Amino acid sequence: MRFAWISAWKDLLRLRREPVTLLTWIAIPSFIAVVTTLVFGPGGAQPHGTLLIADNDHGIGATMLGNAFGQGSLGKMFTVEKTSAQEGRRKLDQGEASALLVIPAGFTASFVSSKPVAIQMVRNPAQRILPEIAEEALATMLDRASSMQAGAPLIQLEATVIPDKTEQPGGFAAILLPGALFMGVFFIAGALAADVWRERTSGALRRVATTPASLGAFLVGKLIASALVFSVIGAAGLLAAQRLMNLRVANFPAAVLWIAASGCGLYLAMMLLQSAASSERVATLLTNFVTLPLVMLGGGFFPFEWMPRPLASIGQWTPNGWCVMRLRAVLAGTLEPSAYGVMAALLAVAWLASIRNIRRFAC
Amino acid sequence: MIEVEQLRKQYGDFTAVHDVSFNARAGEIFGLLGPNGAGKTTTIGCISSLLAPTSGRIRVMGHDVVSDGVAARRSIGVVPQEIALYDDLSAHENLAYWGGAQGLRGSKLHDRIREVLELTGLVDRAKEPIKQFSGGMKRRLNFACGIVHEPKVLLLDEPTVGVDPQSRVRLLELVREQARAGTCVLYTTHYMEEAESLCDRLGIIDHGNLIAQGTLKELRSMLGERDVLRLTGAFHPDRVREALASVDGVEIIHADEALLSLAMSDASHRLPLIFGALNGAEVRGTTLTQPSLESLFIKLTGTDLRE
Ligand SMILES: Nc1ncnc2c1ncn2[C@@H]1O[C@H](COP(=O)(O)OP(=O)(O)OP(=O)(O)O)[C@@H](O)[C@H]1O
Ligand SMILES: [Mg+2]
Repeated sequence: MRFAWISAWKDLLRLRREPVTLLTWIAIPSFIAVVTTLVFGPGGAQPHGTLLIADNDHGIGATMLGNAFGQGSLGKMFTVEKTSAQEGRRKLDQGEASALLVIPAGFTASFVSSKPVAIQMVRNPAQRILPEIAEEALATMLDRASSMQAGAPLIQLEATVIPDKTEQPGGFAAILLPGALFMGVFFIAGALAADVWRERTSGALRRVATTPASLGAFLVGKLIASALVFSVIGAAGLLAAQRLMNLRVANFPAAVLWIAASGCGLYLAMMLLQSAASSERVATLLTNFVTLPLVMLGGGFFPFEWMPRPLASIGQWTPNGWCVMRLRAVLAGTLEPSAYGVMAALLAVAWLASIRNIRRFAC
Repeated sequence: MIEVEQLRKQYGDFTAVHDVSFNARAGEIFGLLGPNGAGKTTTIGCISSLLAPTSGRIRVMGHDVVSDGVAARRSIGVVPQEIALYDDLSAHENLAYWGGAQGLRGSKLHDRIREVLELTGLVDRAKEPIKQFSGGMKRRLNFACGIVHEPKVLLLDEPTVGVDPQSRVRLLELVREQARAGTCVLYTTHYMEEAESLCDRLGIIDHGNLIAQGTLKELRSMLGERDVLRLTGAFHPDRVREALASVDGVEIIHADEALLSLAMSDASHRLPLIFGALNGAEVRGTTLTQPSLESLFIKLTGTDLRE
């Protein structure tokens, strides 16, 4: 067992000397997560923004329009702020709002007398989703309003919001983060596993096999080092999501433990895959072939909720998808304890298979 | 102590090592001399229990390497043919890792690391990553990692390949020191001179067969203690054969228009006789070589070691 610790120390030391690969693989999912967060805004559970209304009409029509944005599901998404057109433009330019609605003077009068009237909406180009929602909602309202012009004078405006993909329990962060995090974990598992090829090529692996130390302990050392790497990345990812995306974490240590254990499992799987290859180049190719589709299916780029249903149900049974679903349960505090048992059993089997495999691989 | 009995190693239908037997004793340097692909590394692989023998038996310090592998490996130090080190670790860290793998720890490990760093002349560069080392320095560290735990049996697989003459002399001296301290050393090489100057006993291996073994003296006597006389110039091979037939105890190893190789005992005293017999031939150069492994190798295998 002492040799396991020595081996872990050796692997960590080497990782510290060459952190570039690792950092690259962390950077990609972080980048995607940050971009997604920026697009959806930092509001957490739901995107939330400010809708500016410059009312030059001061009539009943304008008031109703303004009120419509302040009610129901739209009301949860938008804080409506009255302002002047000029001031509104300034705020928009500074990125303080999602959109500006300019209601022209005489809007109510034109509406009542069925004259054509134009309402101007200015969108914040830096945001994507919220301005879209605002515009869509406004278009619906105006459609409805036009169709009622001839009939009843009392207009009940109703907002139809484009299907909101963030209305999941636990919110937007809880469905986005686990997949993104596991994209990083998967990439890193592949990169760490690739190291056995370097050890084999240099002959270090063969040299280990000529010492009295066991290859089992050698592998345990690798798992200790990998677990530490995955724990640090997992903890950092969760902390960042907690702060930036209002992620709710029911049990932080359990979540980190789950990420580390899943990472080790993926690492062993990737190592088995790579050591089955006939050369280092083939191993790299094989890794890429396997990683990208699995990451895609396993909710790395888009959460399962955003995928077509058949794809999502396949994705949830990919190795990483399975881990992602259970991480989501850990975050929500609803993971059955039996899942830990399943994970432990899977790790043990993978470890035993790897010992047999690495001896053959070394020679 | 290494005891190899009827070792055979097959890769599929191909036999890399064919019923090889030899013993190497404590304090002795046993050389395995053979060309590329002869089966030297395979033999060492089987002794270090890296490869499973197809048949035969190997014992190291009395422990069977198959049934009692861990005990056997405890007394073995291996210096592989390739530089089996971690490039991004320093010399010190490499030694700590490989020493640790051999079960060394604490102050014992520390002391040994210092000792072997001094022995191999790497003290000054001990802290930098070895990817900055020259090839020769890496070779020395490769050696150091094999002896850090003071093994009773040391397996050296062509440890001087790619090393400059100065470092080579130093490395060979280190090997001799190990043997003097009582270590049993198995040394593989394809350099004749190295084998001649270093090894107490030798096995000559070719195509997986151990074709001769013994001390240098014993091997020489297999050649009949004869010197080899090489004459260059312009000859008529047929006339030469005729002329030399009358001279007693001279064997023609080779004869063509430009080169004549003759084997005989006590050649220096018989030069006048030879020249007399070759009367008329145009001799431009004469080289006299004492029996060497090279000539033995050629005699045994029919090929030059450095093909
Ligand atoms: N894994 C393997 N599979 C098939 N053949 C192998 C394998 N390893 C070695 N061989 C073959 O066994 C023979 C002996 O190889 P070995 O490496 O023992 O030679 P060597 O004497 O060490 O040569 P060198 O001086 O080049 O190091 C060679 O013909 C080689 O091609
Ligand atoms: Mg070899």
